[in-house]
Amino acid sequence: MAKSMKLAGLKSVENAHDESVWTATWVPATNSRPPLLLTGSLDETVKLWRPDELELVRTNTGHCLGVVSVTAHPSGVIAASASLDSLVRVFDVDTNATIATLEAPPSEVWQMQFDPKGTTLAVAGGGSASIKLWDTATWRLVSTLSVPRPEGPKPSDKSSSKKFVLSVAWSPDGRRLACGSIDGTISIFDVPRAKFLHHLEGHYMPVRSLVFSPEPDGRKLYSASDDGHVHVYDAEGKAIIGAMSGHSSWVLSVDVSPDGEAIATGSSDKTVRLWDFKMRAAIQTMSNHTDQVWAVAFRPGGGGRLASVSDDKSISLYHCS
Amino acid sequence: MFTAAIKSYSRAIELEDTRVFALIECGNIFLMLGSFRKGIEQFQQALKISLQNMSALYGLASGLLGMAKECRNSGAFRWAASLLEDARKVAEASIKSAGNSSCTWKLHGDILGYSSPGQLTYAQVFPWTEESQSLEYNAETFKKSIYSWKNTCGLAAISARNSYQRALHLAPWQANIYIDIAISSNLISSFNQDNTLDKCTWKLPEKLTLGALALEGENSEFWVALSCLSDCNALKQHSLIRGLQLDVSLAYAWAYLGKLYREENEKKLARQAFDCARGIDPSLALPWAGMSADAHTGDSTPDDAFESCLRAVEIFPVSVDITFYALPKLAEFQIGLAKLALLSGNLSSSQVFGAIQQAVQRAPHYHESHNLNGLVHEARMQFQAAIASYRLARYAINISLGTVLKSHLKDISTNLARSLSKAGNAIGAVQECEDLKKEGMLDAEGLQIYAFSLWQLGENDLALSVTRALAASVSTMDRISAAVSVSFICRLLYYISGPDLAIGRILKMPKELFHSSKISFIVSAINALDQNNRLESIISSSRYFLASQEEITGMHYLIALSKLIKHGTKHHLGFQNGVNHLRKALHMYPNSMLISEVWGNSQVSSRCSIVDDSDSKNKEGLKSAWEISSAGAVACHAIGNSEPRFSFPTCSCQCTSSGAMQELQKCLRREPWNHNARYLLILNLLQKAREERFPVNICIVLERLISVALSNEFYSGKEAICQYQKFQIYLCASEILLQRGNIMGCIDQAKNASVLSLPDSFQFFGHLLLCRAYAAEGNLKFSKEEYERCLELKTDFLVGWLCLKLMESQYEEQPASNIFELAFKEGSEGRNNSWNMWMAVYSLGMGLICLWNQDFLSAEEFLEQPCSLTSAESCIFLCHGVTSMEIARRYHDSQFLSSAIRSLSKAYITSSVPIPIVSALLAQAEGSTGSRKKWERNLRLEWFSWPPEMRPAELFFQMHLLARQIASESDSSSRVEGWQSPLQWVLRAIHTNPSDLRYWKVLPKLL
Repeated sequence: MAKSMKLAGLKSVENAHDESVWTATWVPATNSRPPLLLTGSLDETVKLWRPDELELVRTNTGHCLGVVSVTAHPSGVIAASASLDSLVRVFDVDTNATIATLEAPPSEVWQMQFDPKGTTLAVAGGGSASIKLWDTATWRLVSTLSVPRPEGPKPSDKSSSKKFVLSVAWSPDGRRLACGSIDGTISIFDVPRAKFLHHLEGHYMPVRSLVFSPEPDGRKLYSASDDGHVHVYDAEGKAIIGAMSGHSSWVLSVDVSPDGEAIATGSSDKTVRLWDFKMRAAIQTMSNHTDQVWAVAFRPGGGGRLASVSDDKSISLYHCS
Repeated sequence: MFTAAIKSYSRAIELEDTRVFALIECGNIFLMLGSFRKGIEQFQQALKISLQNMSALYGLASGLLGMAKECRNSGAFRWAASLLEDARKVAEASIKSAGNSSCTWKLHGDILGYSSPGQLTYAQVFPWTEESQSLEYNAETFKKSIYSWKNTCGLAAISARNSYQRALHLAPWQANIYIDIAISSNLISSFNQDNTLDKCTWKLPEKLTLGALALEGENSEFWVALSCLSDCNALKQHSLIRGLQLDVSLAYAWAYLGKLYREENEKKLARQAFDCARGIDPSLALPWAGMSADAHTGDSTPDDAFESCLRAVEIFPVSVDITFYALPKLAEFQIGLAKLALLSGNLSSSQVFGAIQQAVQRAPHYHESHNLNGLVHEARMQFQAAIASYRLARYAINISLGTVLKSHLKDISTNLARSLSKAGNAIGAVQECEDLKKEGMLDAEGLQIYAFSLWQLGENDLALSVTRALAASVSTMDRISAAVSVSFICRLLYYISGPDLAIGRILKMPKELFHSSKISFIVSAINALDQNNRLESIISSSRYFLASQEEITGMHYLIALSKLIKHGTKHHLGFQNGVNHLRKALHMYPNSMLISEVWGNSQVSSRCSIVDDSDSKNKEGLKSAWEISSAGAVACHAIGNSEPRFSFPTCSCQCTSSGAMQELQKCLRREPWNHNARYLLILNLLQKAREERFPVNICIVLERLISVALSNEFYSGKEAICQYQKFQIYLCASEILLQRGNIMGCIDQAKNASVLSLPDSFQFFGHLLLCRAYAAEGNLKFSKEEYERCLELKTDFLVGWLCLKLMESQYEEQPASNIFELAFKEGSEGRNNSWNMWMAVYSLGMGLICLWNQDFLSAEEFLEQPCSLTSAESCIFLCHGVTSMEIARRYHDSQFLSSAIRSLSKAYITSSVPIPIVSALLAQAEGSTGSRKKWERNLRLEWFSWPPEMRPAELFFQMHLLARQIASESDSSSRVEGWQSPLQWVLRAIHTNPSDLRYWKVLPKLL
């Protein structure tokens, strides 16, 4: 591995939203169109952008509060957005027709992700200290994977908030789910058996973002935490492989490139960093944002695009080679 | 412990002032203790050292927020808003340096919207201001202004919610931020008034509160929050009870529970809940408000309700919890208070004024707040402001989208018309009434205003026709408004058509309309002006409806006045009748202040001899006690008689006016602009100066007072009262100048006085003074001219004639006119008991004139008359006695001696204080008849009738005589003259007056 990746700014949209942009994801390409960038913001809207010009395709309204999470179905046909009031709206990407609204008690919807096959939507259940699984055919809640509490489950236990679940990630084969809590622990579940496997330790502050490396048998789990570090775990082996440090503040988001070669992170220190796992070091720092970077997302399916969104209301698109 | 910590930190700062740590810690403790200002100082100090220190910025912002809350709690909304603006800047600076601090974002949200749970701040505090302070709002600008106010508040609320969302996004596990978002959402929807965003079954605020509860189910405050944000009463009740289960001492939860029960009409439960709340925390506003509402609906009086509600409003700004979540009705307490004030008649109190001002600032889009503001202004006699408020209220109605009851619009328009009419804008009022008429909303009150304004405009016929319409509708009204209408009709009829027609109309009206105390007053008043007493039957039937003590005394007062008018002639009211009636009334109602005041007043004006009875007449429009007493003092010529150094009062009617001067000065100090007080002070001072023979210091004071008084613009007015007072002041000035020997100045002032346009009766006195001034100058020709002018003018005031008579004696030729006697006879008519007195005084004057001319015999004749007429005036007796003695001395007539003795002893008996000389003369007279015992006794009496410091040499000398007389007798020590030896008496006499040779002559004999 000689010269690996390099980021180059392609396009940046100032004031893409009226308020802080909090979340972003790529909608995979369909037969009729290329991949689109989906962003959600505090201004209660969800916007669709067409690369590479970042041309605004549509603005979806309907949320009552800021949009904290967006995710796209692997087919690229549907997507879901969730707001602070825990309303999940599932909609058709091309027509914006509402397919379903999923309601949960407030504080119980944070990060969301469709499983690789697209049959289940996993939702980080916040205060419920669990992952909620929604069936994408019937849009019913099919399962709840609870994070076990240290001293046995007690419904009125105040420590429930200690296991507040912020982030969720599917393994590439769809058999494992990982979720990150605010106490820094990461919990691994066996989905087919609906069973908790084990905790991954190491972080001591909230884990806000998780991602599995994309190899088909991927066991490598990248985690981003408020303690400023990015950890790499062997999810099956319950072991930490490595840690990468360099951000001067919270790491808010982590994503891994489709080829699994590079990792990008966004942070409260207003930078986007590109990391080489083999070197365990940042190889590039982008400082074009003027406020904390809430999300970074590699475009699936190659082409080498990375998007980042920030509290400064802007979206940036980079070319990576 | 905290104070100890502060001390230690201060020491640390002293030792090393470049470290921020101690400063920040110290500041935090100050904030904890609530000393925001000190805390802010510490943080500012810290920021000077470390420009971007997060903790310092955070502390500074919270300190400013705390101070803003303090301001808001004390009701100073605008100040609070400006502090919040500062706080916001600081918080934003802090965010710039570190955007991922959840607590900073929350603070920012708090500053913009709320702080932990529900303390209202910027979005709620931002007051609506009347832009550019102009009253000239039209519908469009008002709409714009309201819109921009709403916008500002709404935007603040929205950005507050955004800040909270950021905070929550950064720290989603913090339950209280959910509550914050819920509250701000509630606020936003209250500003937007659209509740259409519920696509789901739960409203957003409710749902977020549930989120907070999901995280922290044991937090009782969250439960209370849920109850406040929920719309469903069952849920409210449940959550309140749940909250109370968790913490039974949550006072505001009890209060809300009480409110909820009240809404459900569970009176008893509501009261219990309120009682609990009050028991736990008496400083909560809501229970008081609840009590007031109870009182209002229940059987207690509106006054109680008003008190309770006032309590609530006073507490309210202090109470955080009241606005806890009941946000959409920001100003409901204030408005409620104003409504209650309206019922209980407390509209003009300044608490209500303050409250309604706050209400207008905080709910400018609500027409009721403007309307009530108008009412309050009206009650405070600020009609222009009231008009502006009513107009605003109407705009507010037009803006509000919801369906407003037509009756509201009617009320506001009627109020507007009334204020216009009160402010003197009859045209505007008529315009309003016509608009109302077009809408068909002209009710009884409107009709009254309409008729009144038309009458003001001089359109009597139209006014009468409107009155007819009003009369037609009387039968359909309830009793009170019917009574009001009837009295209005009576009065208007009187004003338009005069008493005769009005009485005719009134007689035609059905009798049962007059069954009210108010009408009784009006009809009685009209009847008072009618010599034929045609309304007697109506009055006697209506008087049964006088109920309260005040009404009855008022009626007695009115009856007394009517007797004054009916039995009086043109200038002299029938005082005696009035006084008699009042005396009876006073006997029946001894506690009535009103009657005794008026009685005293009319007593003064009827009994007292001197000039100002027209002055007293003006006073009968109930004036304050000090005015009456001081006017009485002037009228009674009785200032300073507590100190018999200058004069020895003989008047039996002693006004209790020794304190009048002090009272007047106090009053003038309280109200330096009160020209009336100054005027009375001048008159009283003049009186005093006259008594004390015009000492220089008083004259100077008077001159200065007069120059100040004359510079008052009040006296440039053309009304009779202004002119009269000005006239009096000029006369005072002139009199003083005369007494100080400045004849030219005196003549100038007197001329000033006589050019004023006043009735001849008063003009007389101006010319009289001129006459005196010329005489003093020695210019008899001019003096004579003025004298004749006086004769032409004539006066009603007998004292004027008397003075003129005295002046007349100065001229050689005697105009043989009996004009004086005629004038006196005329003037004394209708004053039976004072006629004698006047005749006596007149005779006294005549006697004095004769005395001046050395004509003792005719003087005695003149003085003889009053002695037989009156029985009370010691000074007349004295004069007569002296004259008789002089005659006796000159003509050696013992008959005169005995009449002298008679008069002098009467003088001694009748005077209320011992008058000097009387006893000495008596002693001399008795001595002449050879009665030694009486001589001795009287001489001793003479000793005691002198004030110690004024005893003349002659008195000592006389005492020496006495002492020598008794030197031979044994028990001498007990008597006055025995205190000293004859020699010592003579020495004292010589010491007092060394120039009298008689004393010196006696001296060697005693040595």
